[in-house]
Amino acid sequence: MPMTRLPPEIRPVLESGTPAAMVTCSADGKPNTTVISRVYYVDDMHAALSFQFFSKTIRNVRENPRAFVCVWDMAGHAHWALQLEFERSETDGPIFDAMDMQIEAIASMTGMSGIFKLRAADIYRVLSVERVQHPRWTGTEFAN
Amino acid sequence: MIPGKIVRFLEQYANVAFVGTRDRDLVPFGHRVSGWSVGADQRTMTILVPDEFLQRLVESLRHNGELAVTVEAFPSHETYQFKGSYRHHRGVQDGDVEIADRIRRRFVKTIRPMSHEPEDALHAFVSPPALAVEFEVLEIYLQTPGPGAGTRLIPPVEG
Repeated sequence: MPMTRLPPEIRPVLESGTPAAMVTCSADGKPNTTVISRVYYVDDMHAALSFQFFSKTIRNVRENPRAFVCVWDMAGHAHWALQLEFERSETDGPIFDAMDMQIEAIASMTGMSGIFKLRAADIYRVLSVERVQHPRWTGTEFAN
Repeated sequence: MIPGKIVRFLEQYANVAFVGTRDRDLVPFGHRVSGWSVGADQRTMTILVPDEFLQRLVESLRHNGELAVTVEAFPSHETYQFKGSYRHHRGVQDGDVEIADRIRRRFVKTIRPMSHEPEDALHAFVSPPALAVEFEVLEIYLQTPGPGAGTRLIPPVEG
């Protein structure tokens, strides 16, 4: 059953730095997908996403605030499906500063220093969150 | 038409993909993709979606036909987004399973040297496909992180 607050068990998944996929939709009904480097836990009702270069995503959420984010929990053989609604954008303050520092760390680890750069911290309200368990790998999945 | 360079990217290097759809209320939804193939005419693609990501997929595609697929080669981050129009869907066939298996092996081989995850978790990241969706590719965008991210490649931007 979907929840309406981020549960404690999602925090280590978000903080592991696993990339996530994000889907938005323009006002004229065109979906847009992108890979995002990280989803940030703000509190149990809010998540923050980094505004770096995905300009179509940024435009979409400002004309249609709904967004979908999928976060993988590889070790747990699961994913988390988040329905979000864009609330506001912050260009300074503690959330922005924390995200900026973490993005720089990710950039230096992945050889993308100077390319990954935080422009704003976009704050989203959590509408629903659901953990979907995947089947365990047995090695026979693709056997014909 | 999908350029040859991007066809080679899809067939030889890409290892992660995700498809986005939206419902009648413009609410977006996402679905993991286990595999993909390019049609012989290079105007269509077929994506393979696992069972755990089928929620709302067919209903949304039947309603409005809109979809966007992002395909990435990790860890180089070379990424393209394909936007298009739904044509039809069907159950998976043997050839589809082989495609997804090839992408699973490519993904694990690429990720293994840099991942701390257990081997079975890497394999499980690419689930067996349950549904094949064919769509007509109408637009292709560069999504590789950097100054050119978001540039429309197909059809080319004039001027």
